[in-house]
Amino acid sequence: MSESVIGPAMEYATVRPFEARRGSLIRTGWRLGPDAILSSLTRAAAVLVMLMLAVLVAVLTHASLLSIHQFGARFLVSSEWRPNELPAGPKKDKSGNVIVDEDGNTVMEMIPPSFGALPVIFGTAVSSVLALLFAVPLSFGAALFLVRISPRFLAGPVSFLVEFLAAIPSIAYGMWGLFVLGPFLQARVEQGCRWLYDASGHPSAFHWLFRESTHLGTRAVITRELPLSGHDMLCGGLVLAIMIVPIITAIGRDVLKSVPRAQVEGTVALGATWWQSSREMLRYSRAGLFGAVMLGLARAAGETMAVTMVIGNNNEIRASLFAPAQTMSSLLANEFAEASTDLHRSALSEVALILLAMSLLFNVIARYLVVGKNSRSAAAH
Amino acid sequence: MEHPIHNVVTRTYSRVMFAVCVAFTVAILGILALVTAYLLSIGASSLSWDFFTRLPIPRGMDGYPGGMANALLGTVILIALASTVGIPVGMLTGIYLSEYSANSMIAAPTRFICDVLNGVPSIVVGILGYEFVVRPLNHFSGYAGAVALAFIMVPIVARTTEEMLRLVPNSYREASIALGATKARTILKVVLPAATGSVITGIMLAIARVAGETAPLLFTALGSALMTVNPSSPFPALTLQVYEHSRSPEPAQQKLAWAGILVLIALIFVLNLGIRFFARSVQTRTAR
Repeated sequence: MSESVIGPAMEYATVRPFEARRGSLIRTGWRLGPDAILSSLTRAAAVLVMLMLAVLVAVLTHASLLSIHQFGARFLVSSEWRPNELPAGPKKDKSGNVIVDEDGNTVMEMIPPSFGALPVIFGTAVSSVLALLFAVPLSFGAALFLVRISPRFLAGPVSFLVEFLAAIPSIAYGMWGLFVLGPFLQARVEQGCRWLYDASGHPSAFHWLFRESTHLGTRAVITRELPLSGHDMLCGGLVLAIMIVPIITAIGRDVLKSVPRAQVEGTVALGATWWQSSREMLRYSRAGLFGAVMLGLARAAGETMAVTMVIGNNNEIRASLFAPAQTMSSLLANEFAEASTDLHRSALSEVALILLAMSLLFNVIARYLVVGKNSRSAAAH
Repeated sequence: MEHPIHNVVTRTYSRVMFAVCVAFTVAILGILALVTAYLLSIGASSLSWDFFTRLPIPRGMDGYPGGMANALLGTVILIALASTVGIPVGMLTGIYLSEYSANSMIAAPTRFICDVLNGVPSIVVGILGYEFVVRPLNHFSGYAGAVALAFIMVPIVARTTEEMLRLVPNSYREASIALGATKARTILKVVLPAATGSVITGIMLAIARVAGETAPLLFTALGSALMTVNPSSPFPALTLQVYEHSRSPEPAQQKLAWAGILVLIALIFVLNLGIRFFARSVQTRTAR
């Protein structure tokens, strides 16, 4: 595992012949010939790619400065998302009289807009974890099938189909979730749960699943029945699960394939059953599999269109899976184009920055695990 | 010795897990079948010539709901614009990573950044396009959308180009150098031609990816109901039009959205088949 984070160790061991001979008979000076032009062009392109990431981070940070200054760390823990001013009551002067403008209207004291990302961070976390709960067992099962069970003539087409599932655009899953899965969940699953809840003897235990409470400030609490619309956290999690199954399956398959044959043969020779040797395979490649899960998580957390279409877009924290929710990306998709104040847009940019930081973190961890694992197994051969 | 009962239990457990793995694979394929069958059947029943030849028509007007001719053209133009920037930059980066990386300080970081950029949520790229192009120019435009799409294309093209060039055997390069060719000539005349098919694979992969992107266009191209070929104005795209129609309460417009999805998926399916075809032809050639 001491090799570079970036790629299999093998890549660096290969030295191309003309580069090994640098400084010998072949001249590699900076004359303005095709050689110099091509090498500087390609180098410039590579530098440009590195700049792209720097620009992305810099631009988002710059755009969210206003919000960072205004809210600081409170942005991460506040659950209030209110782009508009709220009237707090009549404005009074020092002596306690209500101020009236020229037209005779009462001047109101306004509460300034306030932004906090906690509800969307919560929504992203819950919907992603929900997606992983559904997707990881399915994907690992399918990966094992492709590596250990499937006959060769079946493995190719099945792999292609699973990969095609990954190529279907997000908006198509969104349409499907909106018009097919959502109504199905509403009519069957949610009404079914509701029926069970009503029929069971201890309804209070599952109260939270069907009720929502609204806190106005810190005072009033309104509790009402959830509408059970089918477009909610559960639907979002399920659509996300379908979308990340291909990526986890494909990477899991590659990781399992790289388990040295001797490792599997050894367990079988010792008398292991099919599952015991499979479990040994899973254990051997656990780092790579974890990397695959992280990549799936990164995709789920950043997924936008499908989630926006099915999750209900309610910017509040609710305990129930049957309540509409909001993720970071769906918040951006819904509000960014319509944001009218600089502060609102800046707060949205800060949400995007958090999203970017999160996906970078997941990706870096995943690459480290998947690549590190592969290079070890490559060295073992 | 293990107890025979224990043995039976372990074996049964193993068989059960075997069956579970098969069942999970069948479940995934079943979901795929369910989703695509639904998309295909609804999409096919909504598809008509109007879809390809007419503009979206508001409710109450003659010819409602019209078609998505402008959006189709818009998507093609957006992809073409994004490709003119994204493909050269991506290919040059790929060539650098494959051919010039041996004594390079920046190759490893570049490769890593490509992988990381591949994982950046596309909506974040849309915000970059907004801050970078829309804000300075003060209006939404097709150019902003193309910039966002190009941003997504570059790392995909770069990494696939690199991987495909690495498949070209070193003996080709050695032979070319031995015949007295310069390095640039070796790359342009020997290495790239040997990998043409696979480089096209990378390009198609990138096009297939951006053709279905909606999120980066939301605040850049914005969408438009007009037939326009001028990218400095708000610009239509198939995905944006589908998104807009899918949110409409009108069944006729929803049907149009389904038809749009069908066309999009058909396009991506064809590109994917093409990718596999080219990838295979390259593998067999280099294996020889």
